[in-house]
Amino acid sequence: MNTDIKHHALKLLRAMIGDNADFRSGQWEAIEAVAIRRKRALVVQRTGWGKSLVYFLATKLLREQGSGPTLLISPLLSLMRNQIEMAARIGIRAHTIHSANREEWDSVEVALKENAFDVLLISPERLNNERFLESVLPSMAGRIGLFVVDEAHCISDWGHDFRPDYRRIVRILKLLPKSVPVLGTTATANNRVVADVQAQLGEDLLVLRGTLTRESLRLQTITLANQSERLAWLVENLPKFSGSGIVYCLTVPDTERVTGWLKQKGFSVEAYHAGDDQSLDRPALEQAFLNNEVKILVATVALGMGFDKPDIGFVIHFQRPGSVVAYYQQVGRAGRAVERAYGILLSGAEDDEIQDYFIQSAFPNVETMNQILVALEKTEGLPINDILSRVNVSRSMLDKALKLLEVDGAIGTTYEKHKTIYFRTPNPWQADMERIEHVTNQRRTEQAQMQEYMAHTGCLMEFLQRALDDSNPQPCGRCANCRGKGLPAKVSHELVIEAEAYLKGASISITPRHMLPSGIFPDHKRKIPPELLNETGRSLCYYGDAGWGTLVRTGKYEQNHFSDDLVEAAAHLIADWKPEPFPVWMTAIPSRRHPELVRRFCERLSTRIGIPFKPVLIRVSDAPQQKTMQNSSMQANNVINTLGISGDVSPNPVLLVDDILDSGWTLTMAGWLLRSHGSGPVYPFTLAQATARNS
Amino acid sequence: MISPDSQTLLLLCSQLGLPSEPEFSPLTLREWNPLARKLQALSLRPADLLDLPQAELQTRFEVSTEHATRVARLLERSGALAIVLERLNNLGIYAFTRADKDYPEKYRQRLKDSAPAVLFYAGEKALLGQPGIAVVGSRHLDEAGQDCAKFVGNACGLSGQVLYSGGARGVDTLSMESALEARGTAVSVLADSLEKQVKVQKEALSRGDLCLVTPYSPNAGFSVGAAMGRNRLIYCLADYAIVVASDAETGGTWAGATETLKNNWVPVFVLEHNAMPDGNKLLLQKGALAFPHPFKDKPVKLSDWLKGKAAELPAQPNQPSLF
Repeated sequence: MNTDIKHHALKLLRAMIGDNADFRSGQWEAIEAVAIRRKRALVVQRTGWGKSLVYFLATKLLREQGSGPTLLISPLLSLMRNQIEMAARIGIRAHTIHSANREEWDSVEVALKENAFDVLLISPERLNNERFLESVLPSMAGRIGLFVVDEAHCISDWGHDFRPDYRRIVRILKLLPKSVPVLGTTATANNRVVADVQAQLGEDLLVLRGTLTRESLRLQTITLANQSERLAWLVENLPKFSGSGIVYCLTVPDTERVTGWLKQKGFSVEAYHAGDDQSLDRPALEQAFLNNEVKILVATVALGMGFDKPDIGFVIHFQRPGSVVAYYQQVGRAGRAVERAYGILLSGAEDDEIQDYFIQSAFPNVETMNQILVALEKTEGLPINDILSRVNVSRSMLDKALKLLEVDGAIGTTYEKHKTIYFRTPNPWQADMERIEHVTNQRRTEQAQMQEYMAHTGCLMEFLQRALDDSNPQPCGRCANCRGKGLPAKVSHELVIEAEAYLKGASISITPRHMLPSGIFPDHKRKIPPELLNETGRSLCYYGDAGWGTLVRTGKYEQNHFSDDLVEAAAHLIADWKPEPFPVWMTAIPSRRHPELVRRFCERLSTRIGIPFKPVLIRVSDAPQQKTMQNSSMQANNVINTLGISGDVSPNPVLLVDDILDSGWTLTMAGWLLRSHGSGPVYPFTLAQATARNS
Repeated sequence: MISPDSQTLLLLCSQLGLPSEPEFSPLTLREWNPLARKLQALSLRPADLLDLPQAELQTRFEVSTEHATRVARLLERSGALAIVLERLNNLGIYAFTRADKDYPEKYRQRLKDSAPAVLFYAGEKALLGQPGIAVVGSRHLDEAGQDCAKFVGNACGLSGQVLYSGGARGVDTLSMESALEARGTAVSVLADSLEKQVKVQKEALSRGDLCLVTPYSPNAGFSVGAAMGRNRLIYCLADYAIVVASDAETGGTWAGATETLKNNWVPVFVLEHNAMPDGNKLLLQKGALAFPHPFKDKPVKLSDWLKGKAAELPAQPNQPSLF
């Protein structure tokens, strides 16, 4: 009987991907396990192997036997459009519900009610969403014929990817009768992760694992000390590659900087990230890249798993990723359907610093978590803004803390009057220090392994295979180490100097804040009146970055003096900027800790650009340093209580100077004060911006 | 972790994961009990239903196609049940069923077939059925009633008895708060809104001093029927019940008290004082024992006093119970 079903499944497969197609090794075994024997299975296969074929065909067979629809849980829904189109060819109707398509939820619910769908794709967060639980799930009468858990390596704490929501998935699967089949899929899981997933999903879990090697990939590692050398390297070497490719960076500002440089050098290139840039249309960028209208995407990890472009000819890392798994997944996007593809890992001085930052900021500290719980215990529930005004924690750290507490069952959420309300549950909570320590150690080990990869002199592909517990690691004969030659590690001196100038010249906008944080002035509206708003400002650099960033750091913390180079750079920036109407006087944010530093800088700048400096802003009490204030409410309060005006405020446009932009609240409130004391338009200028390194 | 038998009962007898007006509604006790009897006759466990094809269910259990379809469709939602249950657990709400060993023994003994198939609870479940006293009465109380509610709550707290009540305003809240203030323990059998009450009572719940329990969905809203239906569940957990104030021949308190008298679940006492409501007088005539106001002895003597008074009542016979 199974041969008949297999024959039928093969016909479906061919209807999906072409008449000559055949099952790859492992595909039918996985389909049979879940759709016929109704088992739990874990498929570990490289990206592009066809994991989605397995769950779509399994769904089709189960539906034909009268089972309920498939629930597919994946953190990367937006990247599944291609797969959904493919499934439609065999009559599989798939619907997606995620936070970004709220307007489609009603029509999806109707489809669910009418049983007019076969696969529902949701993100893990949905599983705890009230509307999903109270409306969506019941409208499909709760019938779930197959659970598919994508990125199943996240089930294990030994994985490279820590996602708290997966603990919820494990608990749900433990509450699920054995009669409901479960399919986990992942591209990367070493032995330890597989064993851990098996321990959590049941010993009878069938594991189907394929080889990782990609025949077309040529690997190489190149160490170049600083960013300007690597920018120069890109310009010299990118023209050598045919086809399209990806340049991966670790942070959003880095993608912007690399993109700006490459555009200036005439490359067809766009930045791709999940930063808060509203103008960035990711689906359109993906499409343009798929169509080869854009040759190179400079991306963060936001261009993630599931993105499938078969003809990528090269993947270059501008900075070193945190783990072998992450690196393998990213470099593995190259060479799926081309004969020769390149995977070049550039690494430099800032990589460890950035990785250390990622590791340190992965978990909120336990004290913060306890403060949140204490704040919630006293009430029946609070919206996020009220928590921020009670607990000194940054918004992004609070989000992480709330997520962990929610998955731990220490807090719950409801949705009231368009706001999410967080409340304390009666469940006891204790920080899982062991888990935090474990995950942190895991990250350190992964970082060390990547350092080893950079220094490895043997076959690079074999190194990756061993690190990922491939069953049959072999020297590849193609990587730069096997062949004894590769792309040059040397770059032309002239180009490096040009790149350095680019890094120093790329100024950064300061977007004025339009809203006050809630709870600052109980009697005021939160919206800042337009006549009291700052104009868009400029910063010279990001704090601590290559270029001017290093000079700002030594100036502030080592020499207590900003060098003449910085005065000169600021003067150039202001001349290029040409704000309209141009400021006719300047003033500065006063500081008690370094009273001379910014003032002396302003005096020199004032002489250099020829507009008078009038220090009208004063400190009225000694506040803690703004950077110790972790969130908007605390920061704005801190500023309001400490800034004042002394002397006459000229009614003309003014340049408002500070050294480092932290939260933006100091500039916002200072601008408010100046404007309400009768000044003209306020243009903020800072030497540097301190950036949270978000991807 | 929940057993497969309990999973089955939740699928068949609870509203979890179903829309508000489902095509197939969960089984009532009247519908579940015959099925449970057949399972026992066939030496099967409830979880065996999960793997039973619909056709076989129909023939072996001798039920109509319609009924078999309904059972099959209810059982199909195990995926949704797992998701909903996980969320409830995370909020501190758990379920047990008649198929669980730790299901309150007093319900099995006293209610037999009419013991609820499914219960949801939060807090310390070990309190359910511990020695204690139930307090019932209307939401609106005269002064004597208020004093009595507080006195019994306080007495329970001081003497280590569990205070059983219905978690509503008036008598219930007054007596429960008095018990908790005296560092005692309490159980509230709710007719609605378990999810909301968990938020309000989180401190006593997390201390382990309180258990909230209900046979209805954790997010169910108020309904008169549910409020009436849960009264017997208050009486049946306790050793003694004290009716503080009752209307005559009408209302939930009256219905619950007369039902308890008729079934002899627990000895029923009624607050006796000069200005007592007509319902109290009538209950005394129907055989309820008088509870004096004010109580003459120390609070810690209360349970001994109730025990002495109740000793005159005849003991109850026992019968085996169903899932």
